[in-house]
Amino acid sequence: MKLTKLTAFLLGSVMLGGTAHADKWSDMFPHIKNSGDIPGECSYESMSKKDYSGRKLTINTHAVPVMGEPTALHAEQFAKLTGADVNVIHTPAGDLYSKAMVPFQTGQAPYDIVFGFSQWISDWKQYLEPVPAKYVNMKQMQDVTNSHIDVNSWDGTMYQFPIDGDRHYLKYRKDVIDNPEMQAKYKAETGKELRVPQTWKEYGEIATFFNGWDWDNDGELEYGSAEVMAKDNLMFAAFFSRAVAYAKNPKTPGGFFFDLETMEPQVNNPGFVEALTDWVAATKYVPPGGINFTLGDETMSFGGGQTLFSFSWDDAFVAAMEDGSPIKNKVGAAPLPGAEKVWNRSTGKWDNEYNQAPYIVWGWTSAVAKKSKNHDMAFDYLCFFSNDANHRADIAIGRFGVNPFRKSDFDPDLYVKNQGWDPEIASEYSKTLLDMEEKSTNRVFPLRTPGVAQFTSAVATGTSKALAGQLTPQEALDEVAAEWKKIIARVGEDKLREAYAVGVALEDNLE
Amino acid sequence: MFRFYGLLKYSFICIWSVYVIAPFMWAITTSFKDFNSVTGGATYIPWVDFEPTLDGWRQLLLSPSEGGVALVQPYLNSIMVTLLSSAISLVLGTLAAYSLSRFKFRAGFIKNSDITFFFISQRIMPPVVLSLPFFIMLGHLGLLDTLIGLTIVYIVLLLPIAVWIMVDFFNKIPVEIDETALIDGCNPVQAFFRVVLPNSIPGIVVASLFCIIFGWTDFFFAFILTFTEVQLLPVAVVALNSSITPWWSLSAAALISVAPLIIVAFIVERYLSKGNLSGALK
Amino acid sequence: MNFKHKYIFLLPGLLVLLAILIFPIGFTVRLSLSSWDSFYPGLDFIGIDNYIRLFSDDPRFWEAFGRLAILSSVTVTLQYVLGFTLAHLVWKDIVFKRFFRVLFLIPMMTTPVIMTVLWRTIFHESLGPINDILSLFDVTPRWLSDETLALVTVMIVEVWQWTPFMFLLLLAGLLSLPKEPYLAAEIDGAGPLRKFIYVTFPLMAPISVGAIIIRLIEASKIMDTIFVMTSGGPGTSTETSSFYIFIKGLREFQMGYSAAMSFTYLIIMIISLTVIANILVKVFVKGN
Repeated sequence: MKLTKLTAFLLGSVMLGGTAHADKWSDMFPHIKNSGDIPGECSYESMSKKDYSGRKLTINTHAVPVMGEPTALHAEQFAKLTGADVNVIHTPAGDLYSKAMVPFQTGQAPYDIVFGFSQWISDWKQYLEPVPAKYVNMKQMQDVTNSHIDVNSWDGTMYQFPIDGDRHYLKYRKDVIDNPEMQAKYKAETGKELRVPQTWKEYGEIATFFNGWDWDNDGELEYGSAEVMAKDNLMFAAFFSRAVAYAKNPKTPGGFFFDLETMEPQVNNPGFVEALTDWVAATKYVPPGGINFTLGDETMSFGGGQTLFSFSWDDAFVAAMEDGSPIKNKVGAAPLPGAEKVWNRSTGKWDNEYNQAPYIVWGWTSAVAKKSKNHDMAFDYLCFFSNDANHRADIAIGRFGVNPFRKSDFDPDLYVKNQGWDPEIASEYSKTLLDMEEKSTNRVFPLRTPGVAQFTSAVATGTSKALAGQLTPQEALDEVAAEWKKIIARVGEDKLREAYAVGVALEDNLE
Repeated sequence: MFRFYGLLKYSFICIWSVYVIAPFMWAITTSFKDFNSVTGGATYIPWVDFEPTLDGWRQLLLSPSEGGVALVQPYLNSIMVTLLSSAISLVLGTLAAYSLSRFKFRAGFIKNSDITFFFISQRIMPPVVLSLPFFIMLGHLGLLDTLIGLTIVYIVLLLPIAVWIMVDFFNKIPVEIDETALIDGCNPVQAFFRVVLPNSIPGIVVASLFCIIFGWTDFFFAFILTFTEVQLLPVAVVALNSSITPWWSLSAAALISVAPLIIVAFIVERYLSKGNLSGALK
Repeated sequence: MNFKHKYIFLLPGLLVLLAILIFPIGFTVRLSLSSWDSFYPGLDFIGIDNYIRLFSDDPRFWEAFGRLAILSSVTVTLQYVLGFTLAHLVWKDIVFKRFFRVLFLIPMMTTPVIMTVLWRTIFHESLGPINDILSLFDVTPRWLSDETLALVTVMIVEVWQWTPFMFLLLLAGLLSLPKEPYLAAEIDGAGPLRKFIYVTFPLMAPISVGAIIIRLIEASKIMDTIFVMTSGGPGTSTETSSFYIFIKGLREFQMGYSAAMSFTYLIIMIISLTVIANILVKVFVKGN
């Protein structure tokens, strides 16, 4: 009797002691209460052993909440654990580049850590401290998908620290596409199947059909598609997403934006022109003002239930699936539509076969300044930011903007349990993203050459002129190509080719 | 005939008042909305059209790690920098303006009006390109991200305004006033402080108003030249502009940032009216 | 009066300004002679290549300038006319005179950057209040997505924001007008219209000219409104010089070229403003 009681007592206290250990961190830091601290080189436990008291860390990140809120939150946690003084500044997305580049180019380093878009790597890698091997070899880094390691590295060296994943994918209203009544109606009036569009032409047809009437009975008109069309620094990515299917031909390796050998811009070839023609037609099935939609407007539009489709970053999907959203669990995810034909630049003709190509769009990333005096602290912070416990908690909070980028992220249960997603939708989401990341062989990598901002700015100007009807698609893209040639002349053809080759190698040598 | 004119007068004033107030009304009601109240179409009256929340307002007090934008410190910083640079610009500017109005300068072919134009032309340059050299300059002086650094840069922005307005006002004060004082035995400095200055209160009030406004509302230089220590209000507010434009917190922020200046507007109006009286006392 | 004292008054302000400015202006000129870029940072010397490029190969800059001219002249004229009218209306005794004076000042007190975001939501074509109300009349103008209308929308915002500027200056001017000419006009039996044309307007000429010139300078720098509302779009229909300089400078980081554009802009503005000032003086002063 006594022995049993004693054993029970001892057993109980050992168990309590054990769980008390795992709960110690989640008690102090409610953010990780679901998982507790997960052991690793950068876990809460490990960080608490470091002492950075008396040292200051300065971080430039995006506005709250996307990326901004997790940065500030983890900064607070880091400061508590290590005694460091962490300062975070928030900057709107469009200004992150200049806010980092002005100091870099004048030889200063007011920020130890900068957040930005991974496509800037070519412009700013000279100012960045490569990620030390110690961090690259950590288990949490090895879990990152290959695409994201590639997008943050240059020629084998990792310059940027992956903390987020981004991609473009198709989002659609399940309550319409999977709805038997709507399917019947669509078939009756058009003779075609209502399904997740497989090509951009199909996308356009379905969007046009559902444009301008109230198909979900909420008293408001709905429209076909919400797209990023405003002439800002993101819309060129929406254009490229539409273009890759028409222009990325697996039979013609050696460059997508340029022909690698001649450095001739490809942006005005018939593949791109076809995509731009589609896009100009899209201006007919976007909501009023859609031609001036920024990513924020697109998120509000699709996420607020105004359109049938959307296809750029995660934000719209996340907004739609938030608790309190009227269309929660009514949206689905699918790969970007392909095209029924793809341009072959070697033969100068269209190959009339189905083609699909994921556009590995750049996304949020972070980096440590070379001139910073706090490399150790900075990398520890970034590692802590993306440690298993924090990461698991972050992806469960939609507004944080932290999206899956690790192989272990693509587990539907995470979304079902933590965010209340419908299991079917969670599976569809995970599968779509994982396939794009790991399984596709016909990928396009973002343009990451010197002067990338100038190239994309030219694309934005040209395509928006076409959208506004100031020029025809061919004229607009010819203008862009001409501007690209001038930029190449300024950068230097050889220098550009060298840089572009890095990306092409990734596209062509898959694995 | 007069009644018609009166009717016209008041209608115009009413229409313009609506034009002025409308955005603020929209801001007030929008500051209580949330995502769903905004995306369903335009809504106007709380509780009737939508469910009000305090999220927009709360965001202004919360720290970024809680999803907000702490506006208190930037608010105070803005006040300090604006007042300091306005005060210095006003003092230097008024003195310079007085001399340009009363005395004749000649240096080669450069005359008074050219010097005045030089001051004014500082306003022409778009701030974009000046950002890089100012950054370098303040960097070398170790004044980046400091109140003093920003104040120095703002003096460049505000001094021309002070000069220009005061030159205009001094030109309207007849020279006889100065001459009377001089005859009475004052030297020019005394004449200035004892006689001319009190008569130019309306001008000084207007000049300070413009200095304060242009200082308070500058975004660009504050954006480029500060990091963590000294954040100004416009920069902090714009930092709310994330992937989604939060209509609600931006509305709240707009209302808060205009509040202190409304007080300034009242003060200005009082002095303007007073100025009228002192003009009549001549 | 020619005293040594004059320098005591002038020099502190002038010297402080010069001291602060000399490096930035000098640097900008030097920058314009280099090809400072995101991938070639540093002050190399390429002579006047940037300027040649600007004058021979950049129609976009000159188009932007044309748009700027239209935008500034229309908005400043509107602001002047409206500002003067309002100032005149609240000058003498009317009901709630002081309330209206304060009210009309307020738009100028707001931060343009913040207010413009608000305006964007107001003009939002699907979710904003204006189109919501207008849709009752079956009209939904494309405020920000139509080329010409976008320019009009920008003008509406600018007029809202800056008419108080004119209003205040003109009101201050009106309040400090001497009484004598009006008494004389009364004696001559002049009515309100004649008083305005022959007494008020000429007396206000110097302030009017000054206000218009300053407003023109400020209006030409217009950035926030365009940046937030239209990003220069649709296409390039609301792109002005300062916006284009901003894009080239801080977005694309072609700093050298941007400096050349800024300097050219500065020279052109100085010349145009001098010409405009002369014309205005002739119109306002001679037209009596």
